[in-house]
Amino acid sequence: MKLNIIDLPKDDYKGGPSSLCPGCGHDQISNVVINAAWENGIEPDRIAKMSGIGCSSKTPAYFLGKSHGFNTLHGRMPSVTTGANVTNKDLHFIAVSGDGDTASIGIGQFVHAIRRNLNMVYIIENNGVYGLTKGQYSATVEKGSQKRKAKMNESPPIDLCAMAINLGCTFVARSFSGSKKQLTSLMKAAMSHRGTAIIDVISPCVTFNNNDESFRSYGYVKDNQTELHSYDFIPKFKPITEVEVPEGEYRDITLFDGSILRLETIGSDHDPSDAVNALSHIHHAEQEQKHVTGLLYHNPVPKTLDEMLNLSNTPLAELSDDMIRPSEENLEALLSELRS
Amino acid sequence: MEPIINDFTFNIATANGTGSQSANLILLQTMFEMGVPVSGKNLFPSNISGLPTWYIIRVSDDGYQAPGDRTHIQVLMNKVTWEKDVAALEAGTIVIYNTDVKMPVERDDLVLYPIPMTKIARGLNPKLARMISNMVYVGVIAEIIGLDQSVLETAIIKQFDGKTKAIELNSTAITLGREYVAENFEEMCPYVIESREKDPDAFIIDGNKAVALGSIFGGVTMLSWYPITPSTSIAEDIISYLPSLRTDEDGNLTCAVIQTEDELAAAGMVVGAGWAGGRAMTCTSGPGISLMSEFVGLAYFSEVPGVIWDVNRAGPSTGLPTRTQQGDLSMLFELGHGDTKHIVLIPGNMAECFEFGWRAFDLAERYQTIVFGFSDLDLGMNRWVCKGFDYPEKVDRGKVLHSQSEIDAIGNFGRYRDIDGDGICYRTLPGSGLEPILYRGTGRDEDGAYSENPEVYVANMERLKRKINGARTVLPQPILREEPEKQVGIIYYGSMENTIQEIDDVLESTGLKVSQCRIRSLPISPVVEEFVASHEQIIVLEVNRDGQLYGILRKELPINLVPRVHSVAYSDGLPTRARKYADMIREKLLEVMP
Repeated sequence: MKLNIIDLPKDDYKGGPSSLCPGCGHDQISNVVINAAWENGIEPDRIAKMSGIGCSSKTPAYFLGKSHGFNTLHGRMPSVTTGANVTNKDLHFIAVSGDGDTASIGIGQFVHAIRRNLNMVYIIENNGVYGLTKGQYSATVEKGSQKRKAKMNESPPIDLCAMAINLGCTFVARSFSGSKKQLTSLMKAAMSHRGTAIIDVISPCVTFNNNDESFRSYGYVKDNQTELHSYDFIPKFKPITEVEVPEGEYRDITLFDGSILRLETIGSDHDPSDAVNALSHIHHAEQEQKHVTGLLYHNPVPKTLDEMLNLSNTPLAELSDDMIRPSEENLEALLSELRS
Repeated sequence: MEPIINDFTFNIATANGTGSQSANLILLQTMFEMGVPVSGKNLFPSNISGLPTWYIIRVSDDGYQAPGDRTHIQVLMNKVTWEKDVAALEAGTIVIYNTDVKMPVERDDLVLYPIPMTKIARGLNPKLARMISNMVYVGVIAEIIGLDQSVLETAIIKQFDGKTKAIELNSTAITLGREYVAENFEEMCPYVIESREKDPDAFIIDGNKAVALGSIFGGVTMLSWYPITPSTSIAEDIISYLPSLRTDEDGNLTCAVIQTEDELAAAGMVVGAGWAGGRAMTCTSGPGISLMSEFVGLAYFSEVPGVIWDVNRAGPSTGLPTRTQQGDLSMLFELGHGDTKHIVLIPGNMAECFEFGWRAFDLAERYQTIVFGFSDLDLGMNRWVCKGFDYPEKVDRGKVLHSQSEIDAIGNFGRYRDIDGDGICYRTLPGSGLEPILYRGTGRDEDGAYSENPEVYVANMERLKRKINGARTVLPQPILREEPEKQVGIIYYGSMENTIQEIDDVLESTGLKVSQCRIRSLPISPVVEEFVASHEQIIVLEVNRDGQLYGILRKELPINLVPRVHSVAYSDGLPTRARKYADMIREKLLEVMP
């Protein structure tokens, strides 16, 4: 049996059987999460998987069965993750949300999690519709897109990546559930990042939004995807000398845990430290009715929330009783201060 | 003129944002340090500067803490409320007023002290004249009721925290006020302060600070909060005490504090932190509780511990945001959609604010549920005398499993399996690697797996009910003061504690002896049922319109006891006044007694 760097089989990273529609993009993303966590050698014990409500938010049941998880409330996954994160800052938080969960009911919590640079991987499984309530448009649906048996959408979309970049998010990527290799590299990189890592994954809804007129159908995305780079993820435990040097131009991005994401130039050479250029790519893609995918933005510098809070080195959940309760002498001193 | 010693009420009418709070607190502190039983009520507007504010000080050797039924000494500083304030006074009231406001006092049945306060203040510092003029009335009052000058000076130093310039300026203003009275007025005020022996243990504190300190000693590890009057100072006091009380040897904090984007997020963080093994809390008021409703239901159903303090203000909606009420009780008890029941702790004094502050965490982790602390603006923001805080009992972290051997010893562990028969199941924490499950707000079986099975659902809901019911005898029990006649019993709670003795004395003066039962937690203790059963008539006394505890009791008491239980409920936003409630109780009894 094949084992990963910490001697665990892939089965230790799998979850229960999926109950989503056959062919759902979300199941492909679940498989990528399983592969990325396994190949990165993260201990399943040390992962907390989080989600909100919706089709996408059901998926934590389908991966990482040996990890604790919390399927929370609609749009409120970020706040629950925040509380858990500051309580046990050493856990890896892998969170799943959808476009309804994030771009509508949960947009406030999405914004503020980013603003705090909460240390988490935040996956948005973005299909442009509400699946569980049978196919209403969500707020990410493109102007001009049309789902099955419905009128064309005329409102402009909320682009979650553009929003994240504007908010100072420290890792912003867009991918496609059908681009397994790209998504896996970006997922591994996100897991190696410290801070909020947003991956907005276009994940077609095969039941309600996979018709030709939809900008989020499999066919449309395959034909209209603009990839920024092609990626190689080089894990921290693999000596760089063993990695084949690509023939064309490339740029290496060193991630927090020492892993490297190697960006090989395809078209224009996008520098992911350039937020303005990233926004420009998003803007042009929208104008041309395309989807730009890849690592849009990366900034390893800002502190994370737990760092800003100046917390004990020991996770707060593991502090002993005498660490969290001041002594009797403390109380006596306090009372005499109040009495003086 | 017969002196009236230590038994009168001041009403000081000012505009907010003029520094009058400092002046009023100096008066309060001085009398307190002289050993005189005293209480202060701040009636303030939802505004930063310029709107009417009244500060009421009750001086009472009987220890009465509610505002009295009338004003004996009125200070007039505010033009806007001037006429109404004057009109409301009883004949013979002492009126100290700022002549520079240029408003008349057109009554000949009042005892007048016209003082050019602004002019005196301007002589000291023209720029700060408005603020300093408040100190002039402190001096005037000090002179006419006989406050000890050295105690007054100590109070000034305390109020201005050793800032030399401010102390000197304000102290001079007070002295000028004193001198003005001595030089210009005969003795004509019957109200006199006489020193009493001060209890060396006593100090003055507000309920929010007591809750904050209780929470810190309770081992809070995460505070998430969104500012809202009147709860804000709980969070701010916790923040101010964390560096001295909750810093580890490396200089890092053992408690995270997050100011959130709204109350939904505050509640979500409490749930996340409780799930991850922390002691988490938030503090808010009614509007915040409304927003937290969905998360409280999630915590109840998925069984996650957390503490939420509600410092009640007058609702509904934005209501009277700076006025007090007991209007959230029934909401807290059953917050959330579907069938829920929550533990609510209801302190009635400062020592209990501290005690319930720490005990809330033990109960939340013991019962794996949200525990509410229920305070109100009167208790939380006004200042009360307190004799000290008892050090908490041993920390109870509840049924958390930390090793595989503990799980093996149980044999058939399941996150939601009732091993001990008390409805409380064992849990494991994220990061432990022990028996992980996906927590959820959906139906689940005893192992935590998704289930819509009707029998599974019913068994789970019944177990949750059993679990919370089990707390009835464990929660803070009612405090009883029973009369041998056992004719009429009054059930009350929370800040009414500060008025009940005066109500009792008023009733007794009319020949009615009543027993008292102060409820300190929900769900109610069996002791309450015994109290009801042993009295002929029961009055449920509360500060709201609809009789919210009365409604809860009607549902919880045996049907044969319900006819003897009657509601007396009234709320106008003001702190409770004894006479008003005593009169309502008498009316109610006349109506229901044979």
